[in-house]
Amino acid sequence: MIEVKNIKKNYGRKQVLKGVSFTANKGEITCLIGVNGVGKTTIMNAIMGLTPINSGEILIEGKQLDKTSYEKITFIPDAITMLPQMKISDAMAFMNDYYQCWNQKRANDMLKFFRLEKESRISELSKGNRAKVNLLLGLALDVDYVLMDEPFSGIDIFSREQIAEVFTSHLIENRGVIITTHEIHDIEHLIDKAVLLDDGVIIKEFNAEEVRENEGKSIVDVMREVFRV
Amino acid sequence: MELKFNNRDPVYRQVIQYFKIQIAKGTLEPGEEIPSRRELANKLKINPNTAQRAYKEMEEEGLIFTEGNLPSRVTKDKQVLRAVREELIMEATETFIQTMHAINVSLDEVVQRVTDNYQSHLEEGEKDDRS
Repeated sequence: MIEVKNIKKNYGRKQVLKGVSFTANKGEITCLIGVNGVGKTTIMNAIMGLTPINSGEILIEGKQLDKTSYEKITFIPDAITMLPQMKISDAMAFMNDYYQCWNQKRANDMLKFFRLEKESRISELSKGNRAKVNLLLGLALDVDYVLMDEPFSGIDIFSREQIAEVFTSHLIENRGVIITTHEIHDIEHLIDKAVLLDDGVIIKEFNAEEVRENEGKSIVDVMREVFRV
Repeated sequence: MELKFNNRDPVYRQVIQYFKIQIAKGTLEPGEEIPSRRELANKLKINPNTAQRAYKEMEEEGLIFTEGNLPSRVTKDKQVLRAVREELIMEATETFIQTMHAINVSLDEVVQRVTDNYQSHLEEGEKDDRS
């Protein structure tokens, strides 16, 4: 389990996280939902230790983050960080050199799954295919937790559908997944837990099936209530 | 497998309802193998834990069974199969009668309407078969 406990983060005088707490279980898909600029990416960066927090703590399986955490958890940013002139195969080789937990077989499976060509240059790929390569590079790591920042943002509908398929496949089996999104529409039925974030605080954390069962509400219904739109 | 989910009812229940309809229709036959939980999640584009939950409930209701590591199958228990059909009919009838009752339609008119409507559905069905 990933436990985020009362974390606060200031950028200069501005407090972007005002005491954020939530948990994300292994074997579940947890979705951080909020409009842009609300602190979702900052939370991801904090979990990864990429940005120092001012207070609070983050635990993975009950332990604080340390150097070995990066063999357990990975972060997939919202855009690919590989150089555009690289081929997909170069990017894969880079990951292989860099990470002990790189799983070449899974990477090859995913190439097939996404119908990508190893020898294509990243600069020549469509936006949707670039998003798939980005996802592939993260998901091919044998880690317990995968964090994805806006995996559905700004790409065509067919790529979105293909990426959504990842969430029902063996590629995430038994892992804990945290994704951020400001657009829930396509993925209502894919997520276990929704965490609603507004202005640096969590305003609601709930299991989607439980809310449907006990209150007859969709995730969007709950969002409408708490965000008061 | 095409299934449109609504967003306000638990997805696992909608999955169970879908299986019940397939069983009552005979599309799924007694003893027939059903997809694995993972395959189902993939086909219906739903969370794998939800598919798991649906299968667990169906297993508890005796609708499906699993032997060892083999794929799950539809029950062959005639009593359970009859009960599935019965339940679907009861539910639909109940909803229909409630609506009719709420707007004061007499039993005679209800029966007449049902008869006429059923007849025209049959004829439409025949037309579809010919075309």
